[in-house]
Amino acid sequence: MEGMDNLKPEIERLITAKEQRRHKLAALSFAEKVRLVVKLQQMAVPVLRARGRAVRVWAIDDLKLVVPK
Amino acid sequence: MEKTLQVLNDLARSGVLSRYAIGGAMGATFYVEPVLTFDLDIFVILPQTVSGLLTLKPLYEGLRARGYTEEGECMNIEGVPVQFLPAHNDLLVEAMTEAREVLYEQTPTRVLRAEHLTAIALQTGRDKDRERVRLLREQAELDRDYLANVLTRHSLEGKWKAWTT
Repeated sequence: MEGMDNLKPEIERLITAKEQRRHKLAALSFAEKVRLVVKLQQMAVPVLRARGRAVRVWAIDDLKLVVPK
Repeated sequence: MEKTLQVLNDLARSGVLSRYAIGGAMGATFYVEPVLTFDLDIFVILPQTVSGLLTLKPLYEGLRARGYTEEGECMNIEGVPVQFLPAHNDLLVEAMTEAREVLYEQTPTRVLRAEHLTAIALQTGRDKDRERVRLLREQAELDRDYLANVLTRHSLEGKWKAWTT
Protein backbone atom coordinates (compact mmCIF):
# COMPACT_ATOMS: atom_id res chain seq x y z
CA MET A 1 0.00 0.00 0.00
CA GLU A 2 2.92 2.33 0.69
CA GLY A 3 3.92 2.05 -2.99
CA MET A 4 0.42 3.18 -4.01
CA ASP A 5 0.62 6.17 -1.65
CA ASN A 6 3.91 7.19 -3.26
CA LEU A 7 2.26 7.03 -6.66
CA LYS A 8 -0.68 9.24 -5.68
CA PRO A 9 1.06 12.64 -6.02
CA GLU A 10 2.40 11.60 -9.43
CA ILE A 11 -1.07 10.53 -10.61
CA GLU A 12 -2.55 13.78 -9.31
CA ARG A 13 0.14 15.75 -11.16
CA LEU A 14 -0.66 13.88 -14.38
CA ILE A 15 -4.40 14.46 -14.03
CA THR A 16 -3.85 18.17 -13.37
CA ALA A 17 -1.55 18.48 -16.40
CA LYS A 18 -4.11 16.69 -18.56
CA GLU A 19 -6.85 19.02 -17.36
CA GLN A 20 -4.69 22.07 -18.08
CA ARG A 21 -4.01 20.83 -21.60
CA ARG A 22 -7.72 20.34 -22.27
CA HIS A 23 -8.41 23.92 -21.16
CA LYS A 24 -5.55 25.16 -23.38
CA LEU A 25 -7.13 23.30 -26.30
CA ALA A 26 -10.52 24.83 -25.49
CA ALA A 27 -8.93 28.30 -25.63
CA LEU A 28 -7.50 27.88 -29.16
CA SER A 29 -8.98 29.84 -32.04
CA PHE A 30 -11.86 28.22 -33.92
CA ALA A 31 -9.67 27.68 -37.01
CA GLU A 32 -6.95 25.97 -34.97
CA LYS A 33 -9.55 23.70 -33.40
CA VAL A 34 -10.91 22.77 -36.82
CA ARG A 35 -7.38 21.78 -37.87
CA LEU A 36 -7.19 19.56 -34.77
CA VAL A 37 -10.57 18.02 -35.57
CA VAL A 38 -9.15 17.06 -38.97
CA LYS A 39 -6.13 15.51 -37.23
CA LEU A 40 -8.56 13.55 -35.03
CA GLN A 41 -10.39 12.42 -38.17
CA GLN A 42 -7.09 11.22 -39.66
CA MET A 43 -6.48 9.13 -36.54
CA ALA A 44 -10.02 7.80 -36.24
CA VAL A 45 -10.86 7.00 -39.87
CA PRO A 46 -8.84 3.76 -40.19
CA VAL A 47 -10.36 2.36 -37.00
CA LEU A 48 -13.92 3.36 -37.87
CA ARG A 49 -13.64 2.13 -41.44
CA ALA A 50 -12.42 -1.22 -40.14
CA ARG A 51 -15.67 -1.32 -38.14
CA GLY A 52 -17.66 -0.66 -41.31
CA ARG A 53 -18.44 3.03 -40.87
CA ALA A 54 -18.34 5.12 -44.05
CA VAL A 55 -16.36 8.12 -42.83
CA ARG A 56 -13.67 10.23 -44.40
CA VAL A 57 -11.26 12.98 -43.54
CA TRP A 58 -12.34 16.48 -44.58
CA ALA A 59 -10.56 17.53 -47.76
CA ILE A 60 -9.89 21.12 -46.73
CA ASP A 61 -6.76 23.04 -47.56
CA ASP A 62 -6.53 25.27 -44.45
CA LEU A 63 -4.50 22.71 -42.52
CA LYS A 64 -1.35 24.48 -41.31
CA LEU A 65 -1.37 23.18 -37.78
CA VAL A 66 -0.47 25.10 -34.64
CA VAL A 67 -0.66 22.78 -31.64
CA PRO A 68 -0.08 24.19 -28.13
CA LYS A 69 2.72 22.66 -26.07
CA MET B 1 -13.52 25.13 -43.82
CA GLU B 2 -13.27 28.83 -44.63
CA LYS B 3 -14.28 28.19 -48.25
CA THR B 4 -17.29 26.18 -47.04
CA LEU B 5 -18.43 29.10 -44.91
CA GLN B 6 -17.92 31.49 -47.82
CA VAL B 7 -20.29 29.35 -49.89
CA LEU B 8 -22.87 29.43 -47.08
CA ASN B 9 -22.54 33.23 -46.85
CA ASP B 10 -23.04 33.43 -50.59
CA LEU B 11 -26.21 31.30 -50.32
CA ALA B 12 -27.53 33.62 -47.61
CA ARG B 13 -26.71 36.71 -49.71
CA SER B 14 -28.53 35.24 -52.70
CA GLY B 15 -31.62 34.46 -50.61
CA VAL B 16 -31.47 30.66 -50.95
CA LEU B 17 -31.47 30.55 -47.16
CA SER B 18 -32.56 33.31 -44.77
CA ARG B 19 -30.02 32.64 -42.06
CA TYR B 20 -27.63 29.92 -40.96
CA ALA B 21 -25.59 29.04 -37.87
CA ILE B 22 -23.09 26.35 -36.96
CA GLY B 23 -24.36 23.86 -34.38
CA GLY B 24 -23.68 20.26 -33.41
CA ALA B 25 -20.22 19.02 -32.53
CA MET B 26 -18.49 21.78 -34.50
CA GLY B 27 -20.61 24.42 -32.80
CA ALA B 28 -19.60 22.96 -29.45
CA THR B 29 -15.97 22.87 -30.56
CA PHE B 30 -16.09 26.66 -30.85
CA TYR B 31 -16.41 26.74 -27.02
CA VAL B 32 -14.64 23.57 -25.85
CA GLU B 33 -11.70 21.35 -26.76
CA PRO B 34 -11.84 19.88 -30.30
CA VAL B 35 -14.42 17.10 -30.59
CA LEU B 36 -14.24 14.39 -33.24
CA THR B 37 -16.91 14.80 -35.88
CA PHE B 38 -17.26 13.98 -39.56
CA ASP B 39 -19.90 16.45 -40.63
CA LEU B 40 -20.67 20.10 -40.17
CA ASP B 41 -24.18 20.65 -38.78
CA ILE B 42 -25.65 23.83 -40.16
CA PHE B 43 -28.97 25.02 -38.80
CA VAL B 44 -30.93 27.04 -41.31
CA ILE B 45 -33.97 29.25 -41.47
CA LEU B 46 -35.41 28.77 -44.92
CA PRO B 47 -37.25 31.39 -46.91
CA GLN B 48 -40.93 30.50 -47.27
CA THR B 49 -42.02 29.29 -50.71
CA VAL B 50 -45.10 30.60 -52.51
CA SER B 51 -47.04 27.55 -51.30
CA GLY B 52 -45.98 28.30 -47.71
CA LEU B 53 -43.96 25.11 -47.48
CA LEU B 54 -40.51 25.07 -45.93
CA THR B 55 -38.25 22.77 -47.88
CA LEU B 56 -34.54 22.16 -48.30
CA LYS B 57 -35.04 21.58 -52.02
CA PRO B 58 -34.11 25.11 -53.25
CA LEU B 59 -31.02 25.02 -51.04
CA TYR B 60 -29.92 21.68 -52.46
CA GLU B 61 -30.67 22.89 -55.98
CA GLY B 62 -28.66 26.07 -55.38
CA LEU B 63 -25.71 23.97 -54.24
CA ARG B 64 -25.99 21.55 -57.15
CA ALA B 65 -26.03 24.53 -59.52
CA ARG B 66 -22.74 25.60 -57.95
CA GLY B 67 -21.28 22.14 -58.66
CA TYR B 68 -21.57 20.59 -55.19
CA THR B 69 -22.78 17.05 -54.76
CA GLU B 70 -24.74 15.07 -52.21
CA GLU B 71 -22.95 12.66 -49.93
CA GLY B 72 -25.50 10.61 -48.00
CA GLU B 73 -27.46 13.02 -45.81
CA CYS B 74 -24.94 15.79 -46.46
CA MET B 75 -23.82 18.10 -49.25
CA ASN B 76 -20.10 18.09 -49.87
CA ILE B 77 -19.15 21.76 -49.91
CA GLU B 78 -15.46 22.44 -50.53
CA GLY B 79 -14.39 19.15 -48.97
CA VAL B 80 -16.65 19.33 -45.92
CA PRO B 81 -19.81 17.20 -45.62
CA VAL B 82 -22.45 19.70 -44.52
CA GLN B 83 -25.70 18.55 -42.98
CA PHE B 84 -28.45 21.14 -43.18
CA LEU B 85 -31.00 21.07 -40.37
CA PRO B 86 -34.02 23.36 -40.66
CA ALA B 87 -34.92 25.18 -37.43
CA HIS B 88 -38.07 23.16 -36.76
CA ASN B 89 -39.04 24.15 -33.26
CA ASP B 90 -39.14 27.21 -30.98
CA LEU B 91 -35.83 26.41 -29.29
CA LEU B 92 -33.99 26.15 -32.63
CA VAL B 93 -35.58 29.32 -34.01
CA GLU B 94 -34.55 31.18 -30.85
CA ALA B 95 -31.05 29.70 -31.02
CA MET B 96 -30.71 30.83 -34.64
CA THR B 97 -31.97 34.32 -33.86
CA GLU B 98 -29.52 34.74 -31.00
CA ALA B 99 -26.52 33.02 -32.60
CA ARG B 100 -23.15 34.72 -32.19
CA GLU B 101 -21.52 36.44 -35.13
CA VAL B 102 -17.86 35.43 -35.25
CA LEU B 103 -14.97 35.41 -37.66
CA TYR B 104 -13.47 32.19 -38.99
CA GLU B 105 -10.06 33.43 -40.10
CA GLN B 106 -11.23 36.29 -42.40
CA THR B 107 -14.75 35.02 -43.00
CA PRO B 108 -17.78 36.09 -40.96
CA THR B 109 -20.04 33.28 -39.79
CA ARG B 110 -22.51 32.46 -37.03
CA VAL B 111 -22.25 29.93 -34.20
CA LEU B 112 -25.07 29.00 -31.84
CA ARG B 113 -24.57 30.28 -28.28
CA ALA B 114 -23.13 27.75 -25.83
CA GLU B 115 -26.30 28.01 -23.73
CA HIS B 116 -28.45 27.08 -26.74
CA LEU B 117 -26.12 24.23 -27.70
CA THR B 118 -26.59 22.96 -24.14
CA ALA B 119 -30.38 23.25 -24.34
CA ILE B 120 -30.48 21.58 -27.78
CA ALA B 121 -28.36 18.70 -26.47
CA LEU B 122 -30.74 18.31 -23.52
CA GLN B 123 -33.73 18.34 -25.87
CA THR B 124 -32.15 15.82 -28.27
CA GLY B 125 -31.17 13.58 -25.41
CA ARG B 126 -28.78 10.99 -26.89
CA ASP B 127 -25.73 9.62 -25.09
CA LYS B 128 -23.45 11.88 -27.12
CA ASP B 129 -25.60 14.87 -26.17
CA ARG B 130 -25.09 14.02 -22.51
CA GLU B 131 -21.34 14.06 -23.13
CA ARG B 132 -21.70 17.40 -24.94
CA VAL B 133 -23.55 18.90 -21.99
CA ARG B 134 -20.79 17.67 -19.69
CA LEU B 135 -18.10 19.26 -21.86
CA LEU B 136 -19.97 22.55 -22.23
CA ARG B 137 -20.52 22.74 -18.46
CA GLU B 138 -16.87 22.03 -17.83
CA GLN B 139 -15.17 24.17 -20.46
CA ALA B 140 -17.54 26.75 -21.95
CA GLU B 141 -18.15 29.94 -20.04
CA LEU B 142 -21.90 29.49 -19.73
CA ASP B 143 -23.96 32.48 -18.71
CA ARG B 144 -25.90 30.80 -15.91
CA ASP B 145 -28.79 33.31 -15.85
CA TYR B 146 -29.18 33.22 -19.61
CA LEU B 147 -29.09 29.41 -19.58
CA ALA B 148 -31.66 29.24 -16.77
CA ASN B 149 -34.03 31.41 -18.81
CA VAL B 150 -33.58 29.26 -21.93
CA LEU B 151 -34.19 26.09 -19.93
CA THR B 152 -37.32 27.54 -18.34
CA ARG B 153 -38.72 28.85 -21.63
CA HIS B 154 -38.34 25.45 -23.26
CA SER B 155 -39.28 23.28 -20.24
CA LEU B 156 -35.84 21.69 -19.95
CA GLU B 157 -35.07 22.37 -16.26
CA GLY B 158 -36.04 18.81 -15.26
CA LYS B 159 -33.71 17.26 -17.83
CA TRP B 160 -30.92 19.63 -16.79
CA LYS B 161 -31.34 18.57 -13.16
CA ALA B 162 -31.44 14.90 -14.09
CA TRP B 163 -28.27 15.17 -16.17
CA THR B 164 -26.24 17.38 -13.88
CA THR B 165 -26.94 16.13 -10.35
